[in-house]
Amino acid sequence: MIPLADRAFDAPHLNYGRLSPLLIVFGVALAGVLVEAFAPRRLRYAINTVLSLVGLLAALIAVVLVAGDAPSHHGGVSLGSLEAVGAIAVDGPALFLWGILLVFGLLSVLLFAERHLEGGLTAFAGQAAALPGTDAEREAASRGVEHTEVFPLMMFALGGMMLFPAANDLLTMFVALEVLSLPLYLLCGLARRRRLISQEAAMKYFLLGAFSSALFLYGIALVYGFAGSFQLAAIDTAISARAGATSMLLVGMGLMAVGLLFKVGAAPFHAWTPDVYQGAPTAVTAFMAACTKIAAFGALLRVFYVAFGAANWEWLPVMWVIAALTMAVGSVIAITQTDVKRMLAYSSIAHAGFVITGFVGVQSAAEVGDTQVTSLQAVLFYLVTYGFATIGAFAVVTLVRDAGGETTHLSRWAGLGKEAPVLAGVFAFFLLAFAGIPLTSGFTGKWMVFAAAWAGGAWPLVVVAVLMSAVAAFFYVRVIVLMFFSDPVGDGPTVAVPSILTTAAITVGATMTLVLGVVPQPVLDLARQAGQFIR
Amino acid sequence: MNPYLPIIGLGVLAAGFAIFSVAASSMLGPKRYNRAKLDSYECGIQPTPQPIGGGKFPVKYYITAMLFIIFDIEIIFLFPWAVYFDSMKLFGLVEMVLFIATIFVAYAYVWRRGGLEWD
Amino acid sequence: MSPTPFLVLSALLFSIGTLGVLVRRNAIVVFMCVELMLNASNLAFVTFARQHGNLDGQIAAFFVMVVAAAEVVVGLAIIMTIFRTRRSASVDDASLLKY
Repeated sequence: MIPLADRAFDAPHLNYGRLSPLLIVFGVALAGVLVEAFAPRRLRYAINTVLSLVGLLAALIAVVLVAGDAPSHHGGVSLGSLEAVGAIAVDGPALFLWGILLVFGLLSVLLFAERHLEGGLTAFAGQAAALPGTDAEREAASRGVEHTEVFPLMMFALGGMMLFPAANDLLTMFVALEVLSLPLYLLCGLARRRRLISQEAAMKYFLLGAFSSALFLYGIALVYGFAGSFQLAAIDTAISARAGATSMLLVGMGLMAVGLLFKVGAAPFHAWTPDVYQGAPTAVTAFMAACTKIAAFGALLRVFYVAFGAANWEWLPVMWVIAALTMAVGSVIAITQTDVKRMLAYSSIAHAGFVITGFVGVQSAAEVGDTQVTSLQAVLFYLVTYGFATIGAFAVVTLVRDAGGETTHLSRWAGLGKEAPVLAGVFAFFLLAFAGIPLTSGFTGKWMVFAAAWAGGAWPLVVVAVLMSAVAAFFYVRVIVLMFFSDPVGDGPTVAVPSILTTAAITVGATMTLVLGVVPQPVLDLARQAGQFIR
Repeated sequence: MNPYLPIIGLGVLAAGFAIFSVAASSMLGPKRYNRAKLDSYECGIQPTPQPIGGGKFPVKYYITAMLFIIFDIEIIFLFPWAVYFDSMKLFGLVEMVLFIATIFVAYAYVWRRGGLEWD
Repeated sequence: MSPTPFLVLSALLFSIGTLGVLVRRNAIVVFMCVELMLNASNLAFVTFARQHGNLDGQIAAFFVMVVAAAEVVVGLAIIMTIFRTRRSASVDDASLLKY
């Protein structure tokens, strides 16, 4: 042991410019808390909405600027730099993920701020502390009280999501995981309607999420014990040298995989997904489904490619099994669902399986030609296509309503095509995208990940994936048939007229789903420019 | 000599003194009982009776406890910073001011929204 | 000093925590078991830090403590809301969401 006081110590240096997208998002979150503290009640909603939108736009511009002057390595194979004493990697994939997280964050803010559907109030509980069904709750509703804290909470979650896939050491990654999770637990429990279900979803998500992050943390401890460092590159070196106790590495790797696969909602760690997606306010579900998955996949790829890349013979077989299982569970159980939100949740599980299929086709940039993409780039592209369609689909769900709020039971969606042909048509388009029909983004996305997996030698998995896509297509088409070729039961659902906010979110989602299906090349080029992770 | 021997010696002495005192007072002391002596404490306020079923704390209690924990634990980051304060120069000071300012934002929220009022 | 006893203790605590999460039915107790798992990780962190002769593990323990405190606050808030609504903190009673 070296005595502490004898160590040389240099003050670290932070490059604030390179970290500015993160700093802006966290700064906006803090400013939002200050608004909640000091602004008068009736102004809070307007200030926080504008602040969030402007902040996210500013962060997006910052991402473009940082990407513009990022240093390039190895003849353009990778770009970016390690910042904050090696704790944060501002590299191509991280910048790409930051960009799409911010875009989906913007769309989510639009959904969060929707006020037309609940008679001039947001979809969040007026007063979370008032018990459901009591006078206090009714009084809060009649006074028009609302929790505008959801905006800063969402900003904190988004900041954590941006930090998560950019974390270049395991400790930063753990802190980011908690920063993204804790606000989401709270947001899940804040629905204005059906508060019991919402609170139950929050508790389930919290208990299981805390459990999985504890497993993740113990995994980190064991990997640290093996390698003696939190830095991903140092872990890679230790694994290549095969120094230390391999069993400790294997257990640590396994526990970390459990934590990350829980966050992406992969089977057998998917059990929370349908419950939480159903119970949470739909705007929050859209945000979680798109952004959490993107962040968690970014982190999963970085940990397993950069830190555990040298041990891929140990983890690849496991990932094969998990990919196949996730696709099967998601596609098959979705068939029996009677609730739209639960069905979309199982569909998101199936999509996680497709992404893992792309992920196991591990390749380096040297192995692929100029026209192909690596599996990392395929996954990045898939996440873009998935995110737009998911936010759009959940935004549609917020509009189909009856007296009790959103009506999500499938039987109530019968005949929606006659009631509101445009809305039903848009929803059908999103479902076709999920199914992977040509001319939608789902097709190009699936094509990319399957091609990457095939080139990486994972062809049996590609066969399973194609089969499961066919199974999944069955229940998507079933919903479309239900909407257009069945008669409404009783009065049928009413379709609420949203404000410009939700309309904009749905329009952007649908447009991008179409554009990415017809001309995917620009976004694909962006993903290719993102290159590889730096170490 | 084993370095732990004095500690064991001290332990034996302490235990011996405790046993001797309790035994001596029960044998030698006068025994006069009255109501005050049967109370749980012989000084201070009377303990409040526990409600049936274990009793429940008011929600306020939890909020105060939570706020205490969350603000208390942040101090932990001040210790390593204080140890290396000299070598981190201005950078360390600026970063720590930013950190504390962040905590003050949370504090301002709690204060303005009535989290610190007991009633 | 051999690190093995500390690592064994840490593994034991972690296993007790895991088992508790899986078998206990009271949300508060489940939550306490999660905290036990976090603290088991802390013990492993400081033991490994000593073994490797660097400070990373000790710093990690600081961060884990702060994260655990934040988690306590969020978790207790959620569990308390459920308890006030339902007069029960049993995870079995929360069963509106299924299938």
